[in-house]
Formats: sequence, structure tokens, C-alpha cells
Amino acid sequence: MAERPIIEIKNLSKRYKGSDEPALKDITLDIYPLEIFGLLGPNGAGKTTTISILCGLFAPTGGEIMIDGFNLHNELDQIKQVIGVVPQDVALYPTLTALENLVFFGNMYGLKGKYLKDLIMDRMNVFGLERFAKKKISSFSGGMKRRVNLIAGLLHDPKILFLDEPTAGIDVQSKVVILEFLQEINQKGTTIIYTSHYMEEAENLCSRVSIMDRGTIVSTGNPKELVADHPEFKNLENLYLYLTGKGLRD
Amino acid sequence: MFKFISAVKKEYLLLLRDKAGIIILFIMPMILIIIFSLLQEVTWNAIAQEPKVEMLFVNNDGDSLGINMEKGLRSSGFFDVIDSVNHAKVTAESARAAVKKGDFLIAIVVPKGVTKSMRANVRVAVAKTLSGFGMFNPNLLNNIVPKGADTVTLYFDPTIRKAFKNAVVSSIKEFNYRSETGMIFRSFNIEMSKQFPAYKPADIEYKESLQFKEVFPNYVEREEIPTTVQHNVPAWAIFAMFFIIIPLTGSMIKEREEGSLARLMSMPVSYIHLLLAKVTVYFFVCLVQSFLMIFSGIFILPLFHIPMLVIGNHIIALTLMTIATALAALGYGLLVGTIANTHQQAAAFGAVSIIILAAIGGVWVPVYLMPNVMRHVAMISPLNWGMTGFYNIFLRQGGLITIMIPALKLVAFFLGSVLITYIYRKIKSPLNI
Ligand SMILES: Nc1ncnc2c1ncn2[C@@H]1O[C@H](COP(=O)(O)OP(=O)(O)O)[C@@H](O)[C@H]1O
Ligand SMILES: [Mg+2]
Repeated sequence: MAERPIIEIKNLSKRYKGSDEPALKDITLDIYPLEIFGLLGPNGAGKTTTISILCGLFAPTGGEIMIDGFNLHNELDQIKQVIGVVPQDVALYPTLTALENLVFFGNMYGLKGKYLKDLIMDRMNVFGLERFAKKKISSFSGGMKRRVNLIAGLLHDPKILFLDEPTAGIDVQSKVVILEFLQEINQKGTTIIYTSHYMEEAENLCSRVSIMDRGTIVSTGNPKELVADHPEFKNLENLYLYLTGKGLRD
Repeated sequence: MFKFISAVKKEYLLLLRDKAGIIILFIMPMILIIIFSLLQEVTWNAIAQEPKVEMLFVNNDGDSLGINMEKGLRSSGFFDVIDSVNHAKVTAESARAAVKKGDFLIAIVVPKGVTKSMRANVRVAVAKTLSGFGMFNPNLLNNIVPKGADTVTLYFDPTIRKAFKNAVVSSIKEFNYRSETGMIFRSFNIEMSKQFPAYKPADIEYKESLQFKEVFPNYVEREEIPTTVQHNVPAWAIFAMFFIIIPLTGSMIKEREEGSLARLMSMPVSYIHLLLAKVTVYFFVCLVQSFLMIFSGIFILPLFHIPMLVIGNHIIALTLMTIATALAALGYGLLVGTIANTHQQAAAFGAVSIIILAAIGGVWVPVYLMPNVMRHVAMISPLNWGMTGFYNIFLRQGGLITIMIPALKLVAFFLGSVLITYIYRKIKSPLNI
């Protein structure tokens, strides 16, 4: 790929205060425009930590990060304009309705008025939530919350979208809707970085993946090519198990 | 600005749907005002007219000393002087037994003939004095047997406080001195008129030339002691304002724990704006709280036969004082909400610290009823600064100038809290990671 990466990560490391094992060790990674990039790895591999740092939630311990040509260290404000985030855990106000939540978060992206309302209702439609717009989030099922959580992160059609395990623990129907939607916005111009531990899903969806384990990247590449490089493993899952080991994680 | 308004709206909705928060903010303080006013309406009046101590008085003398002593004790207003129990005259023996049994705290036994012997002693003393002038009249000492000092016996219950005991003893002594002084004067008069038939005793009672005025510079003066309403309305209004720490920190930390804050931090909006929106909403909460408190002082308390709150006519001073108190409360909430890691931590620390600051600051028990040491301790509590300001308005009808110092202290407390919050934020991310 000759074009300039949209995300450049150089020697990123992170050690949380009070823990002796670093959560990330010397991660170096380039992600290119219009990729659907998968960060794969077992629990505790460092996927959420990586995404949180890329979104500017907290500072890395070391390393350089450029996003869309801006330096994360001192141009976070510009970066926030172009990214969208769908966090791993539902991050909504339970006592507000779906609509109130989405209007508020849309406002924070600078969207307003009828344009925003129409947009929200349109998205709620896509995710089969239109009837629940005026219901409080606390009354939603887990899958419904996850869908609202998703909508909240991409109201502003971000240039770069981070999703942390968007498909973890939800029913197949929701999963299909979500993945189709992601492919659709990807085709319309959104670069997607998402984490998962479903290998089959990643194999079908991603242009490239990085397999992470214990704070490092153990392998990066197109999923088909990765498997092709290791003919002894028939699919990504087998390769993944080989690379990350069969030991159970927390 | 648009994002700020949207954030204010969000905070408003969150608060509106926080039932527990609403109860803590608005209902609890009203109930506290009513309960405490009702309770204190009874006890304060009791304190104001201090309860009398029952005292057994055995007057075996029956002459002027015993009678004067009894009169004096009765008119002091501190004692209920009792001379018969169950229709039986108290005797020296039964008085002693009653104190021993704990039925009475004090008994005083004035022995038989004490006036007589005092008179005799006085006459001897007078005669001796006159003899110094060469005017000794030997008849003077006819039939006089000078006696030693008589004993007035005081029985005290062992639990009685030393200071109180001393006070009783010294007032008894004082009656004694007065009687004795009176006798000496009269004795002189009588003897002088015997010596000099022309001498006309001046018909004057000797009055002490030294009078004592009791002043307690620390006390608010008598007419400024607050009524229960004047105390309870500002006290619980201040308490309620500071208690916003519970919902305020709750809202700050819940937002963090529920992940919404993390989401917001990835959006193009500054944390300061979000906090400012929160503070704005809670600031109005404080204003509404004090309005409700004053409202209940004027309209609701009278329904319970408690006197109505009189707010005086310094509305501007009252408003400023309310704003200053609200700011201090908000600053404290921001600080605790920022530093605490969990909702439980903030709620527990917040509630306990406010209750302690309220207790030492004179919210439960007004400062003027506190012992001296506590009055000094009270001054470290921001709630006490608030009380001082409101007292100045409600009790002393003070205007702007009288509230300046407490108001400035509260504002300084606010600025200090905000500064510490800001520095803490500089060091740590808003997510407390
Ligand atoms: N806030 C935190 N404080 C301390 N350690 C953390 C924190 N968040 C994550 N960790 C640790 O960092 C490592 C990576 O965690 P995470 O990035 O959440 O992994 P993943 O998302 O891949 O499951 C884990 O060992 C985890 O325990
Ligand atoms: Mg994770």
C-alpha cells in the first residue's frame, strides 16, 4: 500500500499506575484509509487499552501516534473532530431515553435541530429501534442498548470509527445488522478499526488484522494471506490459537 | 455555548429523574426544618428559662438570718426552695437522709439561734470598736455571751458539679455577709444614739457601692438569641445546600462509571464545559432549595404553631449570602467528586464530612449554646460561616456590610476547591485512570 497511513502507531507502550506488567509493549502499526482493521486477541491482550489511547482517553506511557495527519500528543482536538468511538461497555445515560441520549451526544459532535433528529430516527430505523426512541435506556435489553451505543458513536459520520467488541455477546440477528451497516459505511468512506475475538467474523470482514497477546502484536496481515502463510492451519482461528496459546485468560 | 446549553439540559433531565436525589435535595431539608423547629421549640424555651434546682431548706433559726437567707434563695430564681416533704416539715436529719438517698441535690440547714449569736457577736465587736473612742458603755455587754461562729450545714449530692456547688456556697456566704453588715450598721446606730441622744440614725439601708454587671462578649446579646425558626431555617438551608454533594458527586462519578464520560472525552467537547454545565444546574438547585426553606419558614412552620420566619428587609444581602453558600457547597462537591474513585466513597465521605462540619458549625446546636472550646472549633466549618452570615441578616437585621466577611470566606473556599480540583485534573485524566 503506497498511500499514507491514516493511523500511525510507533513504539506505543502503556503501563497502568499500580500494575507491574505493562498493558502494551512497543506496539508499532500502520492502518490505511478505508481499511476495516481488526484488532484480535484474548482477554487482557490490550485491545481496549490501544483503542482508548487512540481516542485520547488517557495518555500512553511512551510512543508516537499520528491520526489523519495530526499528532495525538498535541493535536487531540483536531483528532476528536474526525473520529467516532463505540466503547466496549454500553456508555449511555440509563435514565434518559434513547432519543435524549442520542440528541445529547449528537449535540456534542456539533449536530443539531431537525437534521439531527431525522438522522437519529433514520439510524434507529436501520437498527430496528424506531419504536423505542422515547423509552428510557434502563428499560432496554442488552442487545438494544448495544445498538444505541453503536449509533451514538457514528452520528457524525466520522472519518475514522473505532469499535471495541461491537459484536460481543449479542444475538446473531443484531450481529448481522451491525456488520452489514459497518460494511456499508466503510464503502461510503469510513475507516474502521474494531476489536473482536471472533475469528471467523474478522476473517470475513477485515482487510487486515493484528493478532495481539499480552500487550504485543504477534502477527499482522490480511487474514487470508496469514492463513496461506501457515498452510498447516486451515483457518484464522487455528492460527490464532497457535499464536496465542490455548491457556485460559481472565 | 450550544454544547453547554445541551449539557445543562442533559444535567437537568438526569437530576429530574433521580428520585433519591430530589428527595435528598428538597424534601429532606424541609422535613428537617419542621422536625428540628418542633423539637427545639420545646427544649430551647426550657433552656431560655433555666430549670430551677430543688433545694431543701431547714430553717431552725426562724429569726432574721434564716428568713433572709430563704428569701434570697427564693428570689434568686435558681432554686425551688422546699421546706416540707409529704406535708411534714423537713428536719436536719430528714434533709440529710433525703440528699443521701439522692432525692434532692442540695439541702441547707440553718441552725437554731444563729441570728441571735450573730447579733451577740456583732454587739461585742461594736462595743470593742466604740471602746477605742473611749465611749465604752459597760452596759452594752450585759447579758451577752459571745459565741464562736455558728455552722450552716450544706448537704450536696456527690454528683453535683463543682462549679455549681461553689456558686451555691458563695451565694449563701453572700447572704450572710449582707445580714452581718446590716446588723453591724444597726448596732452602731443603736449604740451611737445611746451615747449621743442628739444623734439621729440616718434612715438608710446600706447599699453595696460596688455593683457587678455580667457580660458575655461571646454571646450574642439577649435580644439576638435566635428563635428556633431563625436558627433552623438558615441552618438546614445551608445543610441542604452542602448536601448537594451527594447527588452532585453521584452524578459526576456515575457518569464516569457508566462510561458516558469516556465517550464524551472522545468527542470534541471540553471537560470544563461539561463540569460547568453540572455546576450551573446544581447552582440553581441551591437557589431553589433556599427559596423553599425560606418559604417553609414563612408559610409551613406557622401551621405547626411555630413562629413565622422574619427575613428582615435586606433581600440583596440574603441573596448574596445564598449565592456565596451555594458556591462553597458546589466547590466542595466538585472537589470530592473529582478525587473520590467510587460512588460509595464519595457518598460516605461526603455525607459524614457534611454532618461533622454541620455539627461543629452550629447547625444542629447553635454556636451560642456551645461550650467555649467548641465555639473556636466551629469557626473552621464553612457551614458556620454561612450561619454567621444568615444570623447577621435574620437576627441583627444586618445589611451587606455585615455579611461581607462570611460571604468572602465562602467564596474563597469555593475558589480554593476549584483550584485544587483543577490542579488534580491537570495531573490525572478525568477518568481517574
Ligand atoms: N484501568 C486499568 N488499570 C489497571 N490495569 C488495567 C486497566 N485497564 C486494563 N488494565 C489491564 O491492562 C491489560 C490489558 O487490558 P485491556 O486493554 O482491557 O485488554 P482487552 O481489551 O484486550 O481485553 C489487562 O491486563 C488489564 O488487566
Ligand atoms: Mg477489551
